[in-house]
Parts: sequence; structure tokens; C-alpha cells
Amino acid sequence: MELFLQQTANALALGGTYALLALGLAVVFSIMGLINFAHGELMTIAGYVLMYCGIASVPFVIAVPLAITASVLAAVAMERIAFRPVRNGSGATMLVTSFAVAMILQVLFQNLISARSQPVLLPALLSDSVRVFGLVIGVNKLAAIASTIVMLVFLDWFMKHQKTGVAMRAAAEDFAVARLMGIRANTVIAGAFALSGLLAGVAAVLWVSQRASVDPLMGFMPVLKAFIAAILGGLGSLRGAVAGGFLLGFIEIYLAAFLPPEMQEFRDPIGLGIVVLVLLIRPNGLIPSATLKAEKV
Amino acid sequence: MITSPPKHIVVSILGIVALCIGSALVASALGSASERILTVFFISLIAVVGMGVYSGNSGILSFGHLSFMGIGAYASALLTLPVQMKVATLPKLPEWLAGTETGLLTAVAVAIVFTSFVALIIGLALNRLEGSAATIATLGLLIIVHGITIGWRDVTRGSQSFFGVPRDTTLWSAAIFCILALIVARLYRDSVSGLRLRAGRENAIAASAVGVHIRRERLIAWVLSAAIMALSGALMAHFLGAFSPKKFYFTDTFLLLAMLIVGGMTTVTGAVTGALTITIVTEVLRRFEGGFSVAGMEIPAVFGTTQIGIGLIILFAMFRKPEGLAGLKELEERFLSGHSIKSKTRDTHVSVAAADPTPLTGDNLTMRFGGLVAVNDVSIEVKPGEIVGLIGPNGSGKTTLLNMLSGVLTPTDGSVQRGDMVLTNAAPHDVANHGIARTFQNIRLFNELTVYQNVLTAALSTLDGKRATERCEAAIVAMGVAQFAENDANTLSYGDQRRVEIARALACEPSLVFLDEPAAGMNREETDDLMKTLQNLTGELGLGVLIVDHDLKLINQLCDRIIVLNEGMLIAQGTPAEIRKNPAVIEAYLGHS
Repeated sequence: MELFLQQTANALALGGTYALLALGLAVVFSIMGLINFAHGELMTIAGYVLMYCGIASVPFVIAVPLAITASVLAAVAMERIAFRPVRNGSGATMLVTSFAVAMILQVLFQNLISARSQPVLLPALLSDSVRVFGLVIGVNKLAAIASTIVMLVFLDWFMKHQKTGVAMRAAAEDFAVARLMGIRANTVIAGAFALSGLLAGVAAVLWVSQRASVDPLMGFMPVLKAFIAAILGGLGSLRGAVAGGFLLGFIEIYLAAFLPPEMQEFRDPIGLGIVVLVLLIRPNGLIPSATLKAEKV
Repeated sequence: MITSPPKHIVVSILGIVALCIGSALVASALGSASERILTVFFISLIAVVGMGVYSGNSGILSFGHLSFMGIGAYASALLTLPVQMKVATLPKLPEWLAGTETGLLTAVAVAIVFTSFVALIIGLALNRLEGSAATIATLGLLIIVHGITIGWRDVTRGSQSFFGVPRDTTLWSAAIFCILALIVARLYRDSVSGLRLRAGRENAIAASAVGVHIRRERLIAWVLSAAIMALSGALMAHFLGAFSPKKFYFTDTFLLLAMLIVGGMTTVTGAVTGALTITIVTEVLRRFEGGFSVAGMEIPAVFGTTQIGIGLIILFAMFRKPEGLAGLKELEERFLSGHSIKSKTRDTHVSVAAADPTPLTGDNLTMRFGGLVAVNDVSIEVKPGEIVGLIGPNGSGKTTLLNMLSGVLTPTDGSVQRGDMVLTNAAPHDVANHGIARTFQNIRLFNELTVYQNVLTAALSTLDGKRATERCEAAIVAMGVAQFAENDANTLSYGDQRRVEIARALACEPSLVFLDEPAAGMNREETDDLMKTLQNLTGELGLGVLIVDHDLKLINQLCDRIIVLNEGMLIAQGTPAEIRKNPAVIEAYLGHS
């Protein structure tokens, strides 16, 4: 039982990170239909900022906002440079553009920084652990869970009560009509990218604080998982992204903890197999996007 | 059956053969280095057209096809690996496999059959997902197959290199298999299944409404493309001699996808163009990768020059030519004329399938969207031979009613029947095969297909495709769009597009046609023209028409009977004269006096 609760805390921490990444993908997808492969590179950029801050002995409390800011700026720049020219293209066109961006950035990191994994200096506090209700939980896990909750509450408030947030929701429902109502396309899209950069930045800080290292491909795997979380939850649906992220986190952690050792090698295939089963039952995801049914015939 | 003019196919096959054999001759004259490059090129090209068969025709990008290449590679290599080698490197192999040793051809054939079977099972599951969700699911497929390959050590040697495979793939065997793969891909594109799939890519709702079972066609393309990938994988395995699961993972997926997309994924011409462009660029950049000196200046080695190069080419292609360098048409389609309607067929008439006199009835139909009741307990009957008008203010539920009758929407309550046949839950493509065809309020043509192909798709997908050419040409002539037969549908004017849509519906040889605002956007002259055509069709052929329009003059003159909806409810029905005097109708249109 204790092991189970322990693993549940781990699952919440990992699932929360997936949820933040999947949310970032969903915010952009719901508005412009782009599946952003380069989302992971935003994470990597934030990771490298943390690394450099560690080398320059910048305090962690300053390094974190710097890393997140870098990720936000990179996201906005990415939209301006790479995605604006293909904004009206098909989903495939935008997707391919994003993977070209990701590929170029990865090679740049390899050449300009290092092809190998680099250590990141973290405050000692993060690697401590505390006892909560009789469970020993790492401070980094607690911080991850807390940050996820803060981000989700913030996002909910932003989408419901902020002008840009409401505009984004309108644009996600029907971009053409939203524009006719006087919503600026550029503002909304830039806002969506900034938000996705913010979420990727926070996710990167959480990710790095569990691993204390960063490499050029750091963002690739978590974002791949976030894609899967996003379709598990329902592509384009924000609540779905959160649900999918947490579910995927739970599946992965429980499999790692409770699968017999001889089956551990097949952990990824089995985990994805479970996702496939869920999708066979609910092809549009756990919480399908509302716009799916709205197509006029 | 092939749907494009035979000369297109002949020219294209000759082109493929000439290109492959010509380049193989040149390479073998140049020496073994160029032979190796060309062999890899042929094998990659097989994979690229394989991906194109599915992604290009269905419009769903797949990241998972390299898994089939991997399965093909491992399956064939397990068969050709010498027995002593198997004993030494794979001691836990099941006995029947450990004792088998076959030649390359047998191994390729078995690998293709096995991979197709695996693909069929995966395809059945994948088919439930649409668009971007399907694309991401294929990413999952790649990870799953990679994971299984690494985990299944007894058979695959895990993440270690699988070596000792006889190097049987020669330049010429690669060339011949490449010719075969290109021809299969080219033929599939213009086969009945390929044409239907492309129609589904252009407009899924309209394709189902003319009888296309999109998921079935997708599955066919999926399995065929997996088979081609398996061929490529088997050849690759027997070219390299040693490989590991990494060979069939993300790096090569991106490389091959880049070839497909830069060239243009909808055509075989595009696949060849893309593979050529990327191969040439890669070969050139690879020479620079190790560093070089220009005019005494040392340029240091830049790791990943080729990747940056490919990345930039993709960006350039996407910014400038989002459809790919080769565009949306095959080379021969640009230079040779397409289908034209011969003058002798201009006299043929549209006929009606056995003039099935059974009426279509909708009983107590109700449709709710969340809290909104769009249609509330409406019963309706349409008989062949009569023209029924469906009118009502905006938002009164006319289109929703049509959608329920044609299978696009499943009613919340109530039933749709034709005689004894219950169509309430029928898919649109089934409804189309029960003699019911329709047009759409917002024109839904297959934009990138020609007018002829638009109409032909409908003819081929209904009545088991019998007399398809004849029905197609008769419908085109009847709607007076024969002069546009070769043009792409999206190049036509609005009124002509509406006519093509009606022709497409007529090509199904329906006994009932639903027209959703056919005269919208037409001027008076065009409307009168349309009216005459419709009157002829019902008068001569006994066709039944259910027509929604806001042009009350048209409705009054054309219809035998008018049904009026308001706020989802049926408020009146009767002859035009009765309707004009009905107080409820006047109130609905004009409000209280």
C-alpha cells in the first residue's frame, strides 16, 4: 500500500509535467491546427538557460524565471519566423515545417553547445525529501505537483477572465468568425504560442529538476509522450490534454513499478498498447474537443 | 480497373522503366561507389512511394511506416540467415525457424505477406481515428514496434546489430523491384480504390454521400503501402548485411518523409522528385561535413550539416511550394489531355436505376444538439416522380432534416425507412446505394480532381460501378458541363460548380435526389435554366426531388408539394397554392401582423 501511494505521488509529478506539455500543444492546435514538433526544443532551450545560470552562479530563484522567459520568447520567435508563412497551409504542411524547425534547432544545440549531456547545478534543497503522511517524497516531486496545480489554476483563470484568454477560446471555436468579431489573428496566435512557451518552460524546469542534466534531444521524448497524451485526452481539447497527461503519467509509473522484471523491456509498447485500447473505446479521446461536431454540412 | 486514360498509364510506365534502367546503366558504368549510392536511392524510393500510397492518397501523414520496413527487414533476414549463423547468434530461435534457410525472393515474398497481415490488424484499429489524431497514433505505432523489436531478444538480438545477412541485393535487383513498386503505386493512384480514396481526402463528407466507403479504401491503401515498405525493408536488410532497430526509427523516418513531402506526396512524380532532390543534397553536403578548406581558409567540421540542409530545404519547400516541388499532378497529366466527352455520347440520357417507386419516409424525426432541438418530431415522405420543396426561415432545421434523411446525421429519435429497408442508422455511403443522392448547401466538390473524376467517383461507387463510364458521361452532359470535363473542379465558377455537384449526384442514378439550396448564388437566368433541367429529369425519368431553397419563385413554380418548417417543427404542407394562403406560414415568414 505504501509503495502504491509512493508511486501515486511519482505518477502525479510525471503526469503533471505531461499535462503541462500536452496543454501547450493543445492551446496551439486548437487555434491553428498545428501539431508543433518543435515544442520539445522550447523545453531544451529553457533547460540550457538553467544550465548556464548554474555555471554563472545565478541563484535558482532568478534562473527559473529567466529559463521560462527564454522559452516564451523562443516560442513567439518561432511562430513569427517559421509558422507565420505556412499559417494557411494544411495540417501536414505545418507539421512538417515544425519538424524541420525541430531538426535544425537540435543540430544547432549539438554544434553550439554540446552533443553530450551536460550537468545542471540545482539547489540542494530539491534533492532532499520530506515525510508527508508517513510517505517519503522528494522535494522535487512535491514542487512538480505544486507547480502543476498552480499552472492549471492560472490557466483556467486566464482562459475564463482574461481578454486574450477569452479571445483564444473564441478563436478555437471558430477562427473565421472570431476574426470577423474584431479579434486580431496575429495577437491571438502569438498569445497562444507565448502560452505554450510558458507551459513548456515550466515543464522544462520540472523535468530538469528531476534529472539534473540537459542534452540536445532532451525535449524530444517528453513531447512525444505529450502528443500521445493529447490524443488520449482528445486532440484540441484543453481539459482533455490535462486528463490525457495525467493518465499517461499513471500508466507509465505504475507499469514501471508493478510490471514483473522480465516484462520491463516491453514497458513502452505495453503502455502505448493501453493507450490504444482506450482510444479504440473512445476514438475522439477522453474529453473530446467541442468543435469536432460543429462542422456544418 | 484503372480510371485514367490508358495513354497516361502507358507513358508513365515507360517513363519509370526508362528512368530506372537508364540510371542503373549509367551508375554501373561509373563504378561501385555510384552503384552503392544508386542502390540505396532505389531502396529509399521504394519506401517513399510506399508511404505515398497511403499518405498521399488518403491525406493522412504517417510516421509509422518505417515499422513496416523494419518488420519486412527482420522477417526476410530471419529466413535468409544461414542455419549455422542462426545457431550461433540466435540460440533461442523456435526450431522451425532456426532450421529454415531460403533464397532472397522467397524471403521477400514471405516478408511482404507477413507484414501485410500485421498491417491489416493495425489498420483495423487505426482506422477509427481521423486526421491529426491518426497521424499521432502512427507515431505511437513506430514506438511500439521499435520497443517490441528491442525487447524480443530471442528473435531480433534486441538493440544489438543483427548481422550475417547475405548481401544479395544488387543494383539490378533493386532497380527491378523499384520499377515494380513505382508501377504499383502509379496504378493504385488511378485505380478505382485510389480515386475513391483521393475523393475522400478532398472532401470526406461528400465522398461518403456518393457511396465511397472511405475507411475501407483507407485500409486497402494502408495494407498495400505496408507491403511496399516491407519490400523496401527486405532489400535494405540484404543490402546492408547488418542492421539494428535504430535503422527503422526516427532518423530515417524523417529522412524519408522529407523526400516524400519536398517532392509532393500526392503523386509518384513527386516521390521521385523528392527522393532525387534530397539524395543529391545529402550526397553533396556529406562531402562538406568533415570540414574542408576554401581559398586557404579552413572550415571546421560541422556535425549534422546534412540535417540542417534537409531542414532548410523542407522549410523552403513548405514556404514556397506547400504541395511539394512536383505539385498535385503527375507529369504526364500535365502534358497529355485527360478525359473528354466524345460527341456521340452527348445524346445519351441520364436514366434511373429501375425507377424504384418505393417512397422514402422519415417518421417522427427529432434531432437534438446538446440543449438545442434542431428538428422536433417531423414526419416526411418523398416519392419518386414528385418534386417536394422544403422551406422555412433560417435555422428552422431544413438542412438538419436533409442530413438525417441522407445518413450524415443519426436522428436522436424517430426512424428513416425506404420500404422495408430501415436507414435510420445507415452510413451515408449505404444510403447512397439505396438510390438516394444529394448536394450540399456549401459546395462540396473534390477540388483537386477534375470534373470528370468528380462525377466518375460517384458512378463507380454506386450500383457496384456498373456502366460507370456511361452514367458518368450522361450526367455530365445532362447538366451541361461537358466542356469543363478536363478542368479541376475548383477552377470553375460558382454556378458551374453547383451544376457539377448535381451531375455528381445524378451519376449515382438515384431515384431520389436531395438538393440543398441549388440556386443559391445563381442569377435569374441560371436559376431558370436549372429549373428546366430539373423538370425534365422528373418528368422524363420519374426522379423524385427534395429541394431546399430560399428562392420562393423557384419553389412555387417547380414543386408539386411544399413542406414548411419553423423552429424545428413542421408547420404546414400542401400544394404551392395552399401554402401561399396558410396563415401559419405567413406568420413564420412575416411575423404577427
